[in-house]
Amino acid sequence: MVKKENEKNIEVQARRERPQPAETLLPLVDVWQDESEVTHLVAEMPGVANEDVRVEVDKGVLTISGKASWQEPPPEKYSPTYLGFTNGEFYRAFALSDEIDRDKIAANMCCGVLKLMLPKAEAAKTRRIEITAE
Amino acid sequence: MPLLRWETNVDPFASFQWLRREFDRAFDPLRLFGDARRIGGGVFPNINIYNGNSDIVVLAEVPGVRQEDMDVSITGDTLTIKGRKTSGIDNEEKIRFERRERGSGEFTRVVILPDRVAGNNMSAKLKDGILTVTLPKSEAAKPKQITVQS
Repeated sequence: MVKKENEKNIEVQARRERPQPAETLLPLVDVWQDESEVTHLVAEMPGVANEDVRVEVDKGVLTISGKASWQEPPPEKYSPTYLGFTNGEFYRAFALSDEIDRDKIAANMCCGVLKLMLPKAEAAKTRRIEITAE
Repeated sequence: MPLLRWETNVDPFASFQWLRREFDRAFDPLRLFGDARRIGGGVFPNINIYNGNSDIVVLAEVPGVRQEDMDVSITGDTLTIKGRKTSGIDNEEKIRFERRERGSGEFTRVVILPDRVAGNNMSAKLKDGILTVTLPKSEAAKPKQITVQS
């Protein structure tokens, strides 16, 4: 497990092994931690229907994936004039810190954006130690 | 003929930005050498244009943009897609991001359509972050069959 000294709960892992679909798209993400030490991960997966998103945790690796399901107009009737994006499968894997409580991960998908909330386990939270004067 | 352009009255360097973006897109190292392609980035939406016999279909990637924040209009053969992408994050300025790849803000994308379109029966749908605009062609732009007589 990779863990940096500045307490990063999620570390992006590039080029992991994965199944080979026709076109793999990398979802763009925002990652941050809030005051209550919950790590938030927001990923853009345009065209992926809510029921097609998969979020998996396996051996400390968090995987988000999903197939974009928008339909291209039939090629026999339409010719592409300009193509800026393609249909494909989104895939991205992250190394997950041991501090994150696996059972409390919450996911929410709306209008092509996946939101994950990854709370820390109670035992891993920062605790303030009171200093008592003698 | 450029099919796409920025609103030039907003930014005098708009066409340079357009050029740069198209070059970046064509020579994207992730796309040329990598196995995964990065999509999107920033607020500027990717679009696809399909030209059919009776209509033109424009698709745009607008993840996280709400229906009420979108404005699609057409003037002559110019389609304008305006919108505002909100990050959906509270107290954004106070947060120290570990990673920030998505953008937020306003965007305008102007598309010069490949054909004239009729002013009626246009439709725009937003589903799972993909905007689909269907524009029926004007009668003059539709192909007509000419019978060859012997």
